[in-house]
Amino acid sequence: MATGNVNSFNVLTNHNNIVNFITEIDTEEHQILQWLSPLEPQRRHQAVRTGRLDSIGNWILETTQFREWSDREDGYVEPLLFCCGSPGVGKTYLR
Amino acid sequence: MIDRLCDQAEGKDIAVVGLYCDFLSHQEQSITNMLGAILKQLSRRGEIPKDIREAFQKAREEFGGRGLQLSDLVEIMKKVIASLSRVFICIDALDESTPQHRQELLQSLQEIVRGSRNTRIFLTGRPHIEDEIMGSFGKVVRIPLSPTRDDIESYLEMKLSRDTDPYAMDDELRADIMRVIPEKTSKM
Repeated sequence: MATGNVNSFNVLTNHNNIVNFITEIDTEEHQILQWLSPLEPQRRHQAVRTGRLDSIGNWILETTQFREWSDREDGYVEPLLFCCGSPGVGKTYLR
Repeated sequence: MIDRLCDQAEGKDIAVVGLYCDFLSHQEQSITNMLGAILKQLSRRGEIPKDIREAFQKAREEFGGRGLQLSDLVEIMKKVIASLSRVFICIDALDESTPQHRQELLQSLQEIVRGSRNTRIFLTGRPHIEDEIMGSFGKVVRIPLSPTRDDIESYLEMKLSRDTDPYAMDDELRADIMRVIPEKTSKM
C-alpha cells in the first residue's frame, strides 16, 4: 500500500515535471505576452459575443459622431468617444 | 463595437484592442496590468515588436523578469502604435474600475493619444465619469445610449424564442409582454 502511494506520487511528480517542462520550453513569445499582462480580455469578449443580439444598438454606428471618429483620417477629429448610459442599457453589447 | 471595428479593419494595417473593466479584481486592475493587456493585444499581430522583446530581455537579466514600469509601458506603447496606420482602443465599463485606477488609466491614455493622430479611444461607462474623462482629455465626444423601442422588441423576441419552457406561456401572455415592456421601458 505504502509503495503504491509512493508510486502514484511519483507518477504525479513526473506528470508535473512534464507540465513544467512543456511550459519552460514554451515559446519565448508566450513568455513575453504573459510578462506583459496576465489579463486575457479576449476571453470576456468571447462571452459577450455569445450573449449578443447583433441587430441591437446598430443605430449608433450610423451617427455622425461615430462615423467621424472611426473613419476620418486627418488629425481634426476628437480621438475619444464616450458612450454613456445607465447600468443595463447594453453598453457592453454594442456590436 | 470591437467586432464592428474589426470587420472594418480586416486586411488593413489597423489594430483593434479591447479591455473590460468589470469582473476585474482590485489587484488585477493595476494600471500596468491593464495597459499591459492592451500592449499584449497589439503585440499578437505577428512578430513581437523589437522594443518589447528588448525590454523583456533586460527585465529578465535585471531582476528575474520583473514587470514593466508604467513610464516604459507608455513609451513602448507609443512606438508600437506609431508603427501601425491606426489603432482603436475600446475600454468597456470604465466606471467599474476604482477611481484611482481609472484616473491612472485615463492619464496614461491621454499621454499616448497626445501627439498621435492615429489612435482612437472608445470608452463606455455610466454618465457620472464624464467629468473625470474631461479632466484628463479636456474634450470628449459623447453618445448617450438608451435602447430604442426596436432594440427592446428584438431583445424580447430573442429571449422568448430561447424560453426553455415555451408551452408554459399562452399567446395572450406573450402579446402582453411584447406590448407592456417596450412601453414601460421607453418611458424610463
